[in-house]
Amino acid sequence: MKNGDQATPPQLPPRIGANRESTMANLRAENLSKRYRQGEREVVALEGFTFSFPQGSTAVVGPSGSGKTTLLNLLAGFDLPTEGGVYLGELALHQLSEDQRAEVRLRNMGFVFQQWNLIPTLTAWENVAFPLLLAGLPPKTRRERALALLEAVGLLERAHHLPSRLSGGEQQRVALARALALDPPILFADEPTGNLDASSREQVASLLFEAGQARTLILVTHDLELASQADRILHLRGGRLVRVATPAPG
Amino acid sequence: MEVLALVLRNLLARPVRSLLTLLGVLIATTSMVLFLSFGEGLRRSLAQELSRVGPAIQIVPEGMEGLGFSGYPEITPKEYGLAQEAGRELGVRAIIPTLFLARGGFDPQTSFFFQGLPEGVAPDLLYPGVRVQAGSLLPSERGAIVGAKVAKRSQLSLGGPLRLSPRVELRVEGILEESGGLADNLIFVPLKPLQEVLGTENYTALLVALNPGQKAEEVARALEASLPGLKAQTTGDVMRFAERALRISDLVRFGISLVALVVGGLLVANTVMMSVYERIREFGVMRALGARRGFIFRLVVLEALLLALLGGALGLALGSAVSYAINLYTLDQVGLALSAVTPRLSLFALLVALGLGLSAGLLPAYHASRIPVVEALGRV
Repeated sequence: MKNGDQATPPQLPPRIGANRESTMANLRAENLSKRYRQGEREVVALEGFTFSFPQGSTAVVGPSGSGKTTLLNLLAGFDLPTEGGVYLGELALHQLSEDQRAEVRLRNMGFVFQQWNLIPTLTAWENVAFPLLLAGLPPKTRRERALALLEAVGLLERAHHLPSRLSGGEQQRVALARALALDPPILFADEPTGNLDASSREQVASLLFEAGQARTLILVTHDLELASQADRILHLRGGRLVRVATPAPG
Repeated sequence: MEVLALVLRNLLARPVRSLLTLLGVLIATTSMVLFLSFGEGLRRSLAQELSRVGPAIQIVPEGMEGLGFSGYPEITPKEYGLAQEAGRELGVRAIIPTLFLARGGFDPQTSFFFQGLPEGVAPDLLYPGVRVQAGSLLPSERGAIVGAKVAKRSQLSLGGPLRLSPRVELRVEGILEESGGLADNLIFVPLKPLQEVLGTENYTALLVALNPGQKAEEVARALEASLPGLKAQTTGDVMRFAERALRISDLVRFGISLVALVVGGLLVANTVMMSVYERIREFGVMRALGARRGFIFRLVVLEALLLALLGGALGLALGSAVSYAINLYTLDQVGLALSAVTPRLSLFALLVALGLGLSAGLLPAYHASRIPVVEALGRV
């Protein structure tokens, strides 16, 4: 077992206050559609998606091509809808400029990707501190906050390692710590356990749902077992929301 | 972990590529510094030499500029007579006819520069401060006074022969002390034997020595007015002409070094562009996490600037070292420091390197900052 891959996941530390003005912001999609043109053909990636994401975890499931990734792209402001809109409280995300959407993401959203996407030239703690650098926090605060988060995900001893020296599970935990760096009210996770072995999967999932308890966690996954741990499950098919389910407790 | 540290980290992550690019910029800057340093060196040497020349005015045929070491002597004895008359009226101290002759090739050891002096005129009238270390300062009818460096270089000793042509042979009658100026590399001989060698009675130039209180510009204009076909140049005129000529040669040399600079710039652009392509996903992640386009733009431009500035500074240092080595050689061989890395040249080189980095980084930076997040993350 690699250093830091403990069987029992450590507890996340109490939130360290950052800019939490929009903590209670409600993320909602209204009649969200995305169509692409592929030569002569029009591809409908998402059609008429309307949903208000409450606090707690929401899993988005569906087969490949059902529109899960497109939905996440639109909700996060990575891409703009063809029709409809994304609202964060009163803020119409789809009407903002690219840089304004980046600022909204920085202050309100955290991301955990399937591929971890750590910056390869930065050490674990520097990766975690990166959003804090973007937010303009002083070096001492950045370092302290990053190390506290790494401790919370059980990787303090690996703080000065480059991503290439970390296992998949460790990299994903660093990515989770990075997503929580600015204590965002919304957390996106796109197939967060897709590339992990069983032990790491359990550990990352546990940390993720724990972090998602007091936030709006939007989890895109193929993994129905992982999705079943969420408070609600949205089923997509052919770019449409076909069902909203609440998993049975236990 | 500030932005500059991020840039450094990325450059160090690809050490070989960064080093090769650095070398490219270094060579480009070194060559530019060296090329331009010759202009600066000549400018400095010329100013020093002219400040040591005694006569304030030089009368030369119209169309001739600067010091006349090349070209056939064109001033006739009649024109010399007219100049003497005009000089008397203007109250000048002396009008000294002189003749220059260059003999030899590219090798300094077999190159000789002769200056003819009229009877009774010693070199110290033209080059104040020169002193003799052995023999006489005034050459006899068939004698020669040899500058210190040319004597050493060509192993000329007192009493030794000096053959100007198969029929004209002189004897070394004096060897000058080293003065650090042009006189160190000249051989002063009477006018007659030089005119004999060239088969003429003409002179290359007439040198006008002024009395205290006389203004060179005013006397030169008055002499010109009474000497048709001749031009009176002051030291300032010579400097101005030399400056014009040096500016043109600066442009030519800068043009040549521009080739190296363009290659260096393309190297930086290539390195940065490759780095951008390799890091598209990384930039996508940064944007996803909340980095603005300007942040990515700065990151990439800084990378190019850092490479160019570092290469430029090292190139300047190397250029200065090579320039110093060149001067050691030319001072020994011809008594002139041909190359000079002046503060303005150093500043120019660094600014050019900076401009190089900036222009090489702008396009990749623009490209990197404009990639849509979904494309950069491979989420299309």
